[in-house]
Amino acid sequence: MTSTPTRPAELRPSGPDQPAVPPASTLGALGRRATAALSFRTIGAVYVWLLIAVLFSVWAPDTFPTATTVKQVLNGNAVAGLVALSVVLPLAARVFDLSVAYTMSLTSVLTAHFLVSSGLGPATAIALAMGAALLVGVVNGLVVVVLRVDSFIATLATGALIQSLITMVTNDTSITGVQLLAKPFSSIAQLDAGGVTLPVLYLLLAATAIWFLLEHTASGRRLYATGFNADAARLQGVRTDRLRFLTLVASALLSGFAGVVFAASVGSGSPSAGTPYLLSAYAAAFVGATQLRAGRFNAWGTVIAVLLLGTGITGLGLATSAQWAASLFTGSVLIVALVLTGGRIALPAVLRRRRPPQHAASAAADGSGTVSGEEVPR
Amino acid sequence: MHADTSPETTRGTAGTDERDRPVLRVSGLSKRFGGTQALNDVDLDIAPGEIHALTGPNGSGKSTLIKILAGYHHAEPGAVAELDGEAFDLGQVTGSRHDRLRFVHQELGLVGELSATDNLALSRGFARTAFGNIRWSEMERRTTALVERFGLGIDVRRPLSTATPVQRAVVAIAAALQGWEGRRGVLVLDEPTAVLPPGEVARLFDIVREIRDAGAGVLYVSHRMDEIFALADRVTVIRGGRRIATRPVAELTPRSLAELMAGEEMETGHRPRLAPAPAEPVLEVRDLWAGPLRGVGFDLARGERLGITGLVGSGHEVVPYAVCGAYPGPVRGRVRLPGRSERWVDAKDAGGSGIPLVPADRAGEGVIGDFSVGENLTLPLLDRLRARAGRLDRRRESALAEGWIQKVGVRTAGRGARITTLSGGNQQKVVMARCLAQQPPVLVLCEPTAGVDIATRLQLYDLIERQADDGMGVIVSSSDTEDLLALCTRVLVVRDGRIVREISGRDITERALLHAMEGTE
Repeated sequence: MTSTPTRPAELRPSGPDQPAVPPASTLGALGRRATAALSFRTIGAVYVWLLIAVLFSVWAPDTFPTATTVKQVLNGNAVAGLVALSVVLPLAARVFDLSVAYTMSLTSVLTAHFLVSSGLGPATAIALAMGAALLVGVVNGLVVVVLRVDSFIATLATGALIQSLITMVTNDTSITGVQLLAKPFSSIAQLDAGGVTLPVLYLLLAATAIWFLLEHTASGRRLYATGFNADAARLQGVRTDRLRFLTLVASALLSGFAGVVFAASVGSGSPSAGTPYLLSAYAAAFVGATQLRAGRFNAWGTVIAVLLLGTGITGLGLATSAQWAASLFTGSVLIVALVLTGGRIALPAVLRRRRPPQHAASAAADGSGTVSGEEVPR
Repeated sequence: MHADTSPETTRGTAGTDERDRPVLRVSGLSKRFGGTQALNDVDLDIAPGEIHALTGPNGSGKSTLIKILAGYHHAEPGAVAELDGEAFDLGQVTGSRHDRLRFVHQELGLVGELSATDNLALSRGFARTAFGNIRWSEMERRTTALVERFGLGIDVRRPLSTATPVQRAVVAIAAALQGWEGRRGVLVLDEPTAVLPPGEVARLFDIVREIRDAGAGVLYVSHRMDEIFALADRVTVIRGGRRIATRPVAELTPRSLAELMAGEEMETGHRPRLAPAPAEPVLEVRDLWAGPLRGVGFDLARGERLGITGLVGSGHEVVPYAVCGAYPGPVRGRVRLPGRSERWVDAKDAGGSGIPLVPADRAGEGVIGDFSVGENLTLPLLDRLRARAGRLDRRRESALAEGWIQKVGVRTAGRGARITTLSGGNQQKVVMARCLAQQPPVLVLCEPTAGVDIATRLQLYDLIERQADDGMGVIVSSSDTEDLLALCTRVLVVRDGRIVREISGRDITERALLHAMEGTE
């Protein structure tokens, strides 16, 4: 299975005492691992999600437990999921990209502008909009990595710059036109199979890609190392600056793509398309970091969190007609999730709650829940 | 002096002479963390005017004991504690146990951005006017009075980050001593010399003795034997959570104390065999400039164990970083690895030659605390673990990590355990293994045994020696003369950014090193 003939002899410590990897499949170990994988600690959000589903099924038995609701939750949260995933990579390297919402607005209005006002074809319009997103990523990278401005404030600043660009293009009004509703472009978001639209597939693809990158590649490991302790990582030859730069480019591209999908799904380019997604994206990423790989920002945890939040909000919408319920729900879930996990998430130093030095014993017990940093099944 | 502790002889009753009554007495102290018995029925008594050392290997329960005394953990029911004959409760977690128990923790607990005045006020409050604004002149006068007695010329207004390590230690002690009536109290010092250069340890000792001579009890936590013999009156050894012995230091020899600590006979006079036969160089450094360094050059031979030392600020601590291309500032000079290439490399690009570094600050630069043991070990080796499509070969990674854990003898619950669950010494083994796994011609170590207990220290010495015997060149930059004496075949002493002295073989003595560092030859 090893396709690259590296030098295993050199890698392995010499000597006959070469220990084998512990036999992976004694029944007991398997059982323990399964228990760990299904424990509340690991996938608590899934249980909360089920609880919410049951709750709303009882509360609104006519409207909630239907296939329509399932489709509504999936279709309605795909874009939110893409934006949430876009902040996972920067956060893993402990970089905040607060400009994602503005980047999303930017690509949505640019795509609309090029289609409607410039009369360009969909492919060209999308390519130009994504080019703008790439530019945003590069500028963010320059300001954060090269000029060494703290990412939190730097991306807030570039966000303001992007907003001014948006206002320049739109005069603060939505761009609409038949071109946005016409077939090839609108299909991007509206093509469906059994009522589940294409953006859900984008979400799954993006999550798979990010999961693979973070869990199964050297770069992913280095990203986490950069986020946890950049100094130590740098001394081990990790090019932390380059990684941080690239995460900002990646987040700009992914949130930019979310903007294009948004324009295709609503059929207009709105200057404030992205704004409502910012809080929910960070909420999902942080709740996601408490799931599966506790303490690490990860793709599937984020997707679970998006669905949890989306289900709750949809349910509240069906059960009550209170407009304020949605934000109340998002805020509460975020706080509860963060409290439950204490300081285990890789918050930036400023936000990190001072953690009492763990005692060896209790910490070892803690470690057994997510043994070996690699075998947490999902 | 008390040869041993028993409740009968130490219980302070009204009838006994006040001088004999222990100022602090703890008995039957136990603590469990989950399934681990961290402390098991430990007794401890400290006489007034006594420096009482508390020692034991890492993980022996020293810090748990201190944390219980400090009110950070609660003891199991059954523990009895008295301060100057007056009982106090160990059963609860409180901010502080008793006003007469004062602590200087290992990390000193200071805020570097703030001045000495601010730092002292953090624990005892600010003097204010009727309007509630701070009376700075009053505060500064108060702080100066507290700090002055130690006579180190501390500027009470400047941020502590600009002060020397010993000045910071003194501020921490002064902060602990504020408003203290020392005569009937206990000052607890937890590894206070860990951050001090050797020349300044003596000054700290004088201060500690002064506190003792004023009639206070001092509990001095340390696993450095030289300090115990230099300073302490009695020593209590704990191991595996149990008290092994309490003895007057005068009755002990380094060997017998080491045996108490290690639980078996062990070699303490770990001296290197003398310089090996001259061998071809594996590393050549010429005219190195970085930070305080002003043109340093040396050769390192195959199998050589070269020490680099000096006072803090002399520049010796910069050499390893500069050689490995890890110095954050501008670097000039040339480096060559003759075994690998005949080409001279600009020192600022030396990072590319891949000389691994065991950094001085283990928590800050060495390990990644949120990573597992295995992930820490393989971080610099990931490129070699690539399989198809850039995928990481988990199976090979596990085997690699497992192999090195065994090879260097890391004591851990497994490669998946968080690295921070390991003792300092075992973390250091992981850092070392990670470097060795890269099979470098040269290994560069910075303060390799800081915060490492004696047993693990000896294991690390052995490990380093074995590497050198296999032909690796080793650089040990250390301000700990014990390391240099135990390990090095040759020592370069740096002063004011230049190599001022080269000492080799039998001439490497504590005395020679200190004189060369201070420039008092």
